[in-house]
Amino acid sequence: MKKLIYLIALSFIITSCGSTKGLYSWDKYEQASYNYLKKADEKSTEKIIEQYKKVLNKQKGTRKMAPPGMYADYGYFLIQRGNLKEGKANLMKEIVLYPESKIFIDRILKLIEE
Amino acid sequence: MKNSIYLLLVTTLILSSCGSTNKVLKSSAYSGMYKEKPLSLLIMPPINRSTNVEAKEFFHTTLNVPIANAGYYVIPPFLSMEILKRESAYDAEMFIDRPLNVFAEIFGADMALFTIITKWDKSSLASKVIVEVEYIIKSTTSGEVLYNRKGTVTYNTSVSAGNSALLSILASVANTAATKYVDVARAANNYTFSDLPAGMYGPQYGLDGGNTAGFKVFKVRLPK
Repeated sequence: MKKLIYLIALSFIITSCGSTKGLYSWDKYEQASYNYLKKADEKSTEKIIEQYKKVLNKQKGTRKMAPPGMYADYGYFLIQRGNLKEGKANLMKEIVLYPESKIFIDRILKLIEE
Repeated sequence: MKNSIYLLLVTTLILSSCGSTNKVLKSSAYSGMYKEKPLSLLIMPPINRSTNVEAKEFFHTTLNVPIANAGYYVIPPFLSMEILKRESAYDAEMFIDRPLNVFAEIFGADMALFTIITKWDKSSLASKVIVEVEYIIKSTTSGEVLYNRKGTVTYNTSVSAGNSALLSILASVANTAATKYVDVARAANNYTFSDLPAGMYGPQYGLDGGNTAGFKVFKVRLPK
């Protein structure tokens, strides 16, 4: 019986230090964001937009929701490409998901109006 | 009796193998985090004092993921970068020793993250990169340092990290050098921030104060 308890405790310990599923899935976002920061050309912009779509629409993390900042940054890229309406909609989604972003996002929305 | 001693030995071995041997608890190492309970973090552009001009970008683009994964809100990195540039505040060196309240007002940030890269040495013969970097998270309201770790990371560029083996094969076809170096920064950032107390969105939020903290100054070889 004692052994069994030890075994259970052990397996807990082992599983707790192994890698567990994260809060969010990021696909190849980090690589794409580096490439964009470095080059900022048409190809790297397309690639990062593709990654935002994947992160936002095919989320596999345990929270089952978009990671912080992703809707807003996606919106920012859309606005830069002239898609104002969809861009703004994505900025607002950031506020809905993460109310703590309101101070910053409202400021951006104001900047766009000007 | 003999059996339970054996079991005890095995247990201690396993326990010691995954944690560090540091005896400081997270609740005291990062007491400000537990006291202020900050949620939102602004990534300041890394300060690059190394000889590698690209190190700044390698680090800048791999900071938001580990911090979000720890359960915090990271202010949209590209959007905030744009605003910092517009406001001529892209040089983080100007702010590191100053009050940070302005970042709470403009960005709604509870914390600002400063990264100082002091070394980035490549040794292509031994296929490794040695990076020295310090991470400082400061409270924008109290100005207190909430989290501070400095690491020397030796990254072996010839070994692909466990489960990302396929990824690195795919990536190496596309762009070998840059990909490798993004991996170096990513590994350093992930390792350093794996010690962050869980943020509000993490399942361990408020429950990990009793865990032992990692070393404030550390040396590590990655991938492990």
